[in-house]
Amino acid sequence: MLSKITNRISTVIKNDIYITRLIALMLIWLVFMGFFRFEKFYTVINFQTMAAQFPEFGLMAFGIMLCMILGGIDLSVVGVANFAAIVGAITLKKIVGVDGEMLGIAIPIVFIVGIIIGAMAGAVNGFLISIINIPPILATLGTFELFTGIAIVLTKGKAISGIPFGFSEAITGRLFGLIPIQLLIFLAMALVITFLVTKTTYGKKLYLTGTNITAAKFSGVKTTKIIIKTYMISGISASLGGLIMLANYNSARAGYGTVYTLQCVLIVVLGGINPSGGKGKISGVILAIFVLQMLASGLNKIPEISSFYIPLIWGGVLVAVMVMNYFTENKKIKL
Amino acid sequence: MKKLIAMMVIMMMVVSLAACGAEEETKTETKTEAKTETVDESEWEIVIVPKDATNPWFVRMNEGVEEYKKVSGLNIYQKGTPEIDATLQSQLIADLIASGVDAICVVPVDPASLEPVLKQAREAGIIVIAHEGASLENIDYDIEAFSNDAYGAFIMDNLAAAMGEEGVYTTMVGHVTNASHNEWADGGVAHQKANYPNMTLLEAEPRVESEDNGDVAYQTAKELLKKYSELKGIMGTSSYDSPGVARAIEELGLTGKVATAGTGLPAANAEILKSGAVNALTLWDPALAGQAMAAMAVKMLRGEEITDNCDLNVEGYRNLTFKPGSDKVFEGQGWIVINKENVDSFGF
Repeated sequence: MLSKITNRISTVIKNDIYITRLIALMLIWLVFMGFFRFEKFYTVINFQTMAAQFPEFGLMAFGIMLCMILGGIDLSVVGVANFAAIVGAITLKKIVGVDGEMLGIAIPIVFIVGIIIGAMAGAVNGFLISIINIPPILATLGTFELFTGIAIVLTKGKAISGIPFGFSEAITGRLFGLIPIQLLIFLAMALVITFLVTKTTYGKKLYLTGTNITAAKFSGVKTTKIIIKTYMISGISASLGGLIMLANYNSARAGYGTVYTLQCVLIVVLGGINPSGGKGKISGVILAIFVLQMLASGLNKIPEISSFYIPLIWGGVLVAVMVMNYFTENKKIKL
Repeated sequence: MKKLIAMMVIMMMVVSLAACGAEEETKTETKTEAKTETVDESEWEIVIVPKDATNPWFVRMNEGVEEYKKVSGLNIYQKGTPEIDATLQSQLIADLIASGVDAICVVPVDPASLEPVLKQAREAGIIVIAHEGASLENIDYDIEAFSNDAYGAFIMDNLAAAMGEEGVYTTMVGHVTNASHNEWADGGVAHQKANYPNMTLLEAEPRVESEDNGDVAYQTAKELLKKYSELKGIMGTSSYDSPGVARAIEELGLTGKVATAGTGLPAANAEILKSGAVNALTLWDPALAGQAMAAMAVKMLRGEEITDNCDLNVEGYRNLTFKPGSDKVFEGQGWIVINKENVDSFGF
């Protein structure tokens, strides 16, 4: 039994150097925290807090991941998330009374509205990229400004606050007092994306298009459809992230989460998704999300490390991983 | 692969459960100890959370906090996010709650976004003190350096003097959601209406945002001055507003024709004060504000009663009075004026 497990682990290590690297990074950090901040880090509340924090940007990272497998990128995720959160907030304020009546109906409606907005925003991205042929970086950077702009107009630049607390309470609550609801939303989306990517023809076509779009076209793949679909899923994922942000901060504003764009790109690259497309697994991205959250929360627990160093650490990790990936890729070529 | 992840998740859960058990044990132990001995003050952990860590305003606050730490010998420190961002600040506070600190003193980036996390903090029995967050509900107390109306009126006096008490002006705030900035601006406008009849507020854009950013303040001022040729004054509130506006005034060659007054740090603004682009800046010392928050937290941890006319033993905060109509918001007398003559005497 034990040898079976070790066998399996060793094949995994051989098969996927990116994931091995992430696990090693995570273990090093866990040991480090164990030595220096054991009583602060290894607590249930700390793991619950972390599990409630990463879903909002983790969902955005999923979107970027799918687009990157396709050989593109979605830099508009934060814009989509804020747009969805703001429309969600307006909807909530319209439906729910001061005493919280209608809340049971309002929550599903807010999610439906948010998902529709995400899908529409994603469709705009997909249309610009596949039909108008704008490079993904430019297209999504443009739509990021567009969605943020619409959000600013909707809110007149202010934060929407005074939202009935019921929504926030429902989403930031814990199932059985233990598992944060945000985590469940994240896991549900992770399952859906895993299913789509590994079990459906859509997944096969996604990787094929990402590897070589010309070959995919000649093999009869409707690449336009695949591109639009992928950006729509990215938009939906981002909008769910936005609704979680709405719950976490009980307010919505066009400028929330501006740091997430870069952070999500960092996660996706760290997770072993090849920026030129066609390669990478969702499990790597999930691991990268865990690693980044543990790093962030851990650093927040060490007052001796000044906040001045945090961007330096992020940048260092990103560059180090890309350099390591470069050497792994080159080794493969030599062999 | 999936199995490996599943295994890791299970491992994490087991570890965290084990840790939880251990933690509960130690907690009960310390509780019984506390009953027999006096409270060990060195065990306290008081954290000051500024809007961010690199802004000179909060670097100065950190100096004050470090000094207070030395004098009191308690475990008090400042921990900020690397950049101003409401989401990052909220997550930092969530992490602090998880690590079980005793008091959190916060200068909110966007008060509305902090309500849920501050509510959790208070439910966890953590003392929450705010500064520049008069609109917050889930706090124990908020300490303002002074009455916002009076400070706004004070800035207005400075602006009126610079404008010769006549002409069109507008107001600039960090964010329109920032409670303090807006109350200063409101107080300034009310003061103008009562005392300076020849001045008028620009009706098309009575309040603009600088997003707590000097470049945005500069851009916004430049746009305003080009769009409205009748504009003769801009009342700033955040520490970036007036310096940014002054840059725009100088660059457009309007020194002496357009005036600005507002908050600003001395050292960073020595040049514009001396060149005459700005007549006088007003300020409270962030170092003292940081100390006042820490002092309030210590007072509450010691179980002392907090009443009106409260004395924190910090300069400018020796006679804190409740803001009229509130039993949470305290106001001190902590303002100072900086002009050409005294700008070099502050040392920050």
